[in-house]
Amino acid sequence: MLRTTNIIFFFLGFFLLSFGLPLNENSLAKRIEKKINKEITAVFSAADFTLETSSIQIESNQFLLAHSIREIKVEGQLAGYAFTGTAPSKTDSFDYLILFDPTFTIKKATVLVYREDYGGEISSKRWLSQFVKKQTGVSFIYGDTISAISGATISVQSMTASVNHVFSSLKDVQSTIGQ
Amino acid sequence: MRNFLTFFSFIFSGFFLQAQQGQASATTTVDSLVSAQQINGYQRILNNLSGIPQGVTIGGYGEILYNQPTNLTGELDVQRLVMLFGYKFDDRVQFVTEIEFEHVKEVYVEQAFVNYSVANGLNIRAGLMLVPMGIIAEFHEPTTFNGVERPSMDKYIVPTTWREIGIGVAGRVDALSFRYQAYLFNGFLSHDGQEGKLIGSSGLRGGRQKGAESVVDQFNLSAKFDYYGIPNLRLGLSGYSGRTQAVDGQNAIPGSDIGVAMLGLDARFKWQNLSARGQFVHASLSDTDAYNTLTGRDLGSALGGFYVETAYNILPLANRQRLDAFVRYESYDTHKNVGTSIVKNPAFDREEWTLGLSYHMSIGTVFKVDYQSKKTGLADSQFGQFNVGVGVWF
Repeated sequence: MLRTTNIIFFFLGFFLLSFGLPLNENSLAKRIEKKINKEITAVFSAADFTLETSSIQIESNQFLLAHSIREIKVEGQLAGYAFTGTAPSKTDSFDYLILFDPTFTIKKATVLVYREDYGGEISSKRWLSQFVKKQTGVSFIYGDTISAISGATISVQSMTASVNHVFSSLKDVQSTIGQ
Repeated sequence: MRNFLTFFSFIFSGFFLQAQQGQASATTTVDSLVSAQQINGYQRILNNLSGIPQGVTIGGYGEILYNQPTNLTGELDVQRLVMLFGYKFDDRVQFVTEIEFEHVKEVYVEQAFVNYSVANGLNIRAGLMLVPMGIIAEFHEPTTFNGVERPSMDKYIVPTTWREIGIGVAGRVDALSFRYQAYLFNGFLSHDGQEGKLIGSSGLRGGRQKGAESVVDQFNLSAKFDYYGIPNLRLGLSGYSGRTQAVDGQNAIPGSDIGVAMLGLDARFKWQNLSARGQFVHASLSDTDAYNTLTGRDLGSALGGFYVETAYNILPLANRQRLDAFVRYESYDTHKNVGTSIVKNPAFDREEWTLGLSYHMSIGTVFKVDYQSKKTGLADSQFGQFNVGVGVWF
């Protein structure tokens, strides 16, 4: 026998939750783009900028499932790069954004969308700040130069390996340009 | 017993030699995980699934154990084999289920829920889910904890694997490095019309309904908060509150159900080669006198305990393999307090030391060996137990 008040409480809770439900799927892509723009504005202190697809190409691998590299231009000048990558989590994938200066030093790293609950701790601003100011020559070591998060081991290792792959690929590109 | 020791030393020396060789030759870092031959199972699965909007995930974990008490016959057991299946319907909706085989022949569903990702950091979940209380309740794959057996207080106090049908929210606040979970769950079954399901030695454990034709009388509230804003440290606070359930006809009889209020605190630390964890759980039960009088049981009015554990990885951090040497101390009592209907049983006041090694051959596989020294509040109750096990998680 279930008390009536319990049932009311249950459905009221569910009803209140449903206010948060976004209705159309396209809003996700739009919200990601909005978030990228917001981060660029904050990091480069520039409200007026353009994003252009970069000619730099790197290869995907199992820790970088998809990516894009765009040049951030402020008043026609190259201010930096916006790198978005997709990396695996336990049973899904997540998207992250790295903002580079023109020499590929990280100015900001952030998780744009984390799709599952498990391992979402890597979205922590404090944890992501470990990548800031690092340059392409660096290789991060999980548990050493990148701190572990108990309970989020898979995603921490995935993000670390993903950034390491991006760094080593960009370093190759840089040395090619240098020649 | 001597045979066992010979067997054990043979097996372990083999593994250790391998570890030494690994140490000498492997300068593998996480960086080189990207090389194709180093991918393990779960990464391969993730690779197949991720990047596409829909798809099936297959995974699992298992542990095959050998327990050898010093005073009794040993046991070899496929303790659990759990197969994970996930299906991603679209970018927001995912179904996750874990089918569990216990001791080879018992089949359970450990989890089966739909996760709706409302926003980045907010999920709604409904179905059969794990009740978050302490560390092991949520993180119980064999590669995530030291010791062949789970900490005993996670069996007798928490009681893992604790899962019930419910609905709730889970998510994070990234700016604060904070994770939250809050659920309405079905509670423990205290009376099935025949007998009382909760007993003194194992507390609430016998009342888990596990989502199998479970009886619901009143909902219970469960919540957990995790904070990971301090580098290398993760702190958890769990709470559970409600009443147990009884079948129709029985629930009108006083003493058929009891009140449950549980509090858990946990901490996990990991820095370089050093790791440590600790957990404290306390449960207050009300109306146990009426329950004991009605059922003739010996259920305590409070149960609780704690454990602390520290481990050190003997291998260099840059190695792909890990060899953790650890020590754990546990103290727990399912008769921490009793009502007026019964007297405290000192045999339920338990203390354990566990000393052992966890050899992670790769990410996702572990060979474990340990020795436990156990005693209760009774005189001359001390005994020892050797445990050996292999575990996988992919």
